[in-house]
Amino acid sequence: MLRLDQISVSYGGLRALSDVSLDVRAGELSAVVGPNGAGKSTLFKAISGTVPLQAGHIMFQGDDLHEIPAHRRAHMGIAHVPEGRRVFASLSVLENLEMGAATDAGRAGRVRSFERIFTLFPILAERRAQMAGTLSGGQQQMLAIGRALASCPKLLMLDEPSMGLSPVMADTIFDAIHQLRREGDITILLVEQRVTDALAQCDRATVLESGRVVLEGLASELSAARLRQAYLGV
Amino acid sequence: MNAMIEQFVQTLAAGLTAGSLYGLTCVGLAMIFGIMRVINFAQGDFMMVGMYLAVWIAARLGGVHVFGAAAPFIAAILVAPVLFMAGSLLHRLLISRTTGLRAVGLSGEGHQAQLILTLGVALILQNGALILMGSSPVSIVSKLSSRAWEIPLLIDEDSTLFLNQARTISALVSIGVAFLLFRLIRQTGIGKSLRAAADNPEAATYVGIDVTRAHRIAFGLGAAIAGVAGALMVLSTPAQPFVGTDFIIIMYAGVVLGGIGSITGAFWGGMVIGVVQQLSTLVLPLQLQNAMVFLVFVLILLFRPQGLFGRTVERA
Ligand SMILES: Nc1ncnc2c1ncn2[C@@H]1O[C@H](COP(=O)(O)OP(=O)(O)OP(=O)(O)O)[C@@H](O)[C@H]1O
Ligand SMILES: [Mg+2]
Repeated sequence: MLRLDQISVSYGGLRALSDVSLDVRAGELSAVVGPNGAGKSTLFKAISGTVPLQAGHIMFQGDDLHEIPAHRRAHMGIAHVPEGRRVFASLSVLENLEMGAATDAGRAGRVRSFERIFTLFPILAERRAQMAGTLSGGQQQMLAIGRALASCPKLLMLDEPSMGLSPVMADTIFDAIHQLRREGDITILLVEQRVTDALAQCDRATVLESGRVVLEGLASELSAARLRQAYLGV
Repeated sequence: MNAMIEQFVQTLAAGLTAGSLYGLTCVGLAMIFGIMRVINFAQGDFMMVGMYLAVWIAARLGGVHVFGAAAPFIAAILVAPVLFMAGSLLHRLLISRTTGLRAVGLSGEGHQAQLILTLGVALILQNGALILMGSSPVSIVSKLSSRAWEIPLLIDEDSTLFLNQARTISALVSIGVAFLLFRLIRQTGIGKSLRAAADNPEAATYVGIDVTRAHRIAFGLGAAIAGVAGALMVLSTPAQPFVGTDFIIIMYAGVVLGGIGSITGAFWGGMVIGVVQQLSTLVLPLQLQNAMVFLVFVLILLFRPQGLFGRTVERA
């Protein structure tokens, strides 16, 4: 469904990604892990189109994304929950979800997707009129995921959804991701620092280090030991 | 005593009418700043362009009998689409190069570049007007400017409030335009996507909002509002190429007073300035009225640093 073919990205001369290739299959949950600064968020931004490619191609459902501006990609079915949540602080919870639902698919599937969001995160229904900026960190993360789901995406990209959350709240988020995976209609690409949790859930994992893929494979084949080895470079 | 009350009410009314117009000019500036985070130094000059344009349109319309006394106000409304288009075009050609996601990598997020750019636009507009229109002031002569509604004050037999018709209608049109704009921003889909783009341009892109387009709309709206405000102002203040610089300080003061980032607040900020400016003439010489404005400005900010309507909502 999503194929990255030898992509490279630089920030003003500094390489952030070099020749990264990745294959994401429909209906699967793929994880991308790696140390800080490995280029995980950059990889997501390249897919969303907010950083330009220096080389390589990204194919989404058979279309080359090269000529497609970033904001159009949301309408094609790519939803990106950025690192650090980034809810629309001065809009209410409901308005945030409505902004997410402004894509063509989101409009059409609005009733079902809102039902799904509120079942997944009942607190959002309770707080629907509250200003998003005044929500707690965990609630903001739920809203950010909810906003992405409201667009009825085909591909959901989650960038460190558990970052900065209490273990309990992080578990809630992981449960939600697990639930989404079980429902199976959305392909998920997940960046996570909690490697063990991510690995326990995903079908397939990619280890990124200094902008390069150092290891990839089915989660079942990637033993913790090999992963640790790749991670620590020992 | 009654004479004093009469004078006070008269001055207050003058303050409220002037304040409504100032409020609208502040809304234009706040619109651009609130959505784009761009400080537009050319805002006063957009107003100046609106003034000249209104004079020109009103002169054409004035000849047509059916419009009669309404000609200046119809002209003010017609200025809006012209300046909207001019503002959008300016954004497309110049401003967009230094804003939005493009500015992310630039030093200071592009603020220096924006500052120099809008200052440059201001200078070009001022000097362009000087070349095209000359330096002698022009205004709209309307019979409404010399007519007043007389409203009896019920304190005694002969105390009367005089409301200059041209200024009063201008004030009402300003309030109407500002109100429509608030509705647009608060309640419509376009307004919400403008606010989302303002809150977080990157996240807005991820939900499919074209942030550049949102900025173009905001800049166009800001220019249109400045133009309409100028067109209404020209009934009482003659247009000349540098008239914008007289107003830009008031605009900034109003926006800061209302609370940076709050479009509704900007209107009230402008209103406070108009009222204080007029009321100060009761106790101080005319030359000191702007000194009084800034005294009140400093006092308000001392007690409410976030401005009258400053948002307390955390920004991501
Ligand atoms: N806007 C930017 N300008 C310059 N360099 C950047 C920019 N964004 C990221 N980088 C650099 O690119 C590299 C990859 O950053 P990225 O944010 O993709 O890492 P990450 O894997 O997401 O890290 P983390 O786990 O800390 O979120 C880093 O070296 C970072 O310093
Ligand atoms: Mg990151």
